[in-house]
Amino acid sequence: MADNNKEDQNWEPKIVAFVCNWCTYAGADLAGISRIQYPPNVRLIRLPCSGRVNPFYVVKALQEGADGVLVSGCHPGECHYLTGNLSARRKFSMLKNFLTYVGVEPDRTLFTWVSASEGEKFAHVIKGVTDKVKALGPAKKLVKKFD
Amino acid sequence: MKNIENQLREEAKKLLDDGKVNVIVGYEEGTLPGQTTPCFIESSADADRLVWNPFCSMNLAKYVHDIIHRHRDSQKRAKPEERTKKIVGVVARGCTTRSLILNLQEKQYEREELVIIGVPCTGYVARRKLDRAAGGKEIIGCAVNGDRLTVTTAGGDSDILLKDIISNSCMTCRYNNPIISDIMVGDPAPPMEPGREYDAVTEFENKTEEERWAYFAGEMDKCIRCYACRNACPSCYCKVCFLEQNQPKWIGVGVEETDTQVFQFMRMFHMAGRCVDCGSCVEVCPMGVDLRTFLKKLDKDGFELFEHRAGESLESLPPLSVHSMNDKEEFIYEPE
Ligand code: SF4
Ligand code: SF4
Ligand code: SF4
Repeated sequence: MADNNKEDQNWEPKIVAFVCNWCTYAGADLAGISRIQYPPNVRLIRLPCSGRVNPFYVVKALQEGADGVLVSGCHPGECHYLTGNLSARRKFSMLKNFLTYVGVEPDRTLFTWVSASEGEKFAHVIKGVTDKVKALGPAKKLVKKFD
Repeated sequence: MKNIENQLREEAKKLLDDGKVNVIVGYEEGTLPGQTTPCFIESSADADRLVWNPFCSMNLAKYVHDIIHRHRDSQKRAKPEERTKKIVGVVARGCTTRSLILNLQEKQYEREELVIIGVPCTGYVARRKLDRAAGGKEIIGCAVNGDRLTVTTAGGDSDILLKDIISNSCMTCRYNNPIISDIMVGDPAPPMEPGREYDAVTEFENKTEEERWAYFAGEMDKCIRCYACRNACPSCYCKVCFLEQNQPKWIGVGVEETDTQVFQFMRMFHMAGRCVDCGSCVEVCPMGVDLRTFLKKLDKDGFELFEHRAGESLESLPPLSVHSMNDKEEFIYEPE
């Protein structure tokens, strides 16, 4: 991928965000209708629940060329399906540790909670994640070289 | 050992003659010295084939699962009133019972479908260590006497301490005696050294990011994707494995290196809170890939984060099967 060259001054990180339909996606919507600016580096993928995010999605996104991955759902206690985000929290705490253990930079994969009313926070999160991934430079590990 | 072996054969005969089990999964002599192979005994006349010695390496829970499931599938074709249950007897040491517990927790079969013949365990000989001890020469004889082993090659005999060549999993095993059993043969075995269980993981955690990545990539580079590790693992039982799934296709089948990395990473991650550290995957790997350094990290995290060890009791469910409002969440990102 030509645009993934760190020397390239115009390099911009590609970030994939798996977000929950009921909270973070609505939060993103609120940010949009409130006209809050945030970096355009993020591609949102809407899922019914953060509990629906298969850890495989995170790893596959990295393999297929994402420079960073964000997973965001409802705050604990506020899950539309009651406990989906709690099982997500368990999965991702182990996933993040395991990715870090094999040597993937901790800031490549981030997890957070954004509720439907937190348009402001959504914009902050995206800005923060984009800055972190930018600081790391293009992803090199687990990234597929050819098909 | 001999005493345990004799008792084992007697118990097996009784179970088969009394019709308490349809088949017993155990170990028999392999075709090469210093090897055993899983066997399936269906009549008491064959029970004397059963052996119990330091070469019994494979975790037999895998076969229990496969036999029960194959039988259940075959029953789908029978009339409902003619359907039968198959009761499987299994020779089980500590790690095998942990796998059985895990399979039971995951509702793969019923406790009534199992008769567990518990055996005390002092660890099994790791094939690679044995080969190294034999100087890479062809082994033509192996004789166990007490805690020592005499290995015969064309170059002569060498005498080794068994504890020097047992599998790494066994050296630090926490549950070397069966956790659950219906019948026990022999007396409980002395404990191993679980205190050192996570030493290697801690050491690895303290390496730099680049060192860790280099090691992971290097190990995965050895992998030829024969999938023996998956096939040997009692916790790997999905009817359609993600590896073979093509809607979507998760993993490319070619030689691209990250496909191997991602395959192994995900197979291992599927073991979060489910790996019983039996070492069967490592034992069957033809390329000597160090899977344990990684699997053990998941084990350590499962314990440190959720105070859980796979298959330690029927009541304690795998950590990713349950959740709690109070789980730690330091890893959650909060923007400033
Ligand atoms: S891991 Fe433990 S129970 Fe399993 S073979 Fe080794 S010592 Fe025995
Ligand atoms: S991953 Fe390996 S050590 Fe763990 S349960 Fe499976 S075969 Fe045993
Ligand atoms: S057994 Fe070894 S070589 Fe075969 S797939 Fe597993 S790690 Fe790779």
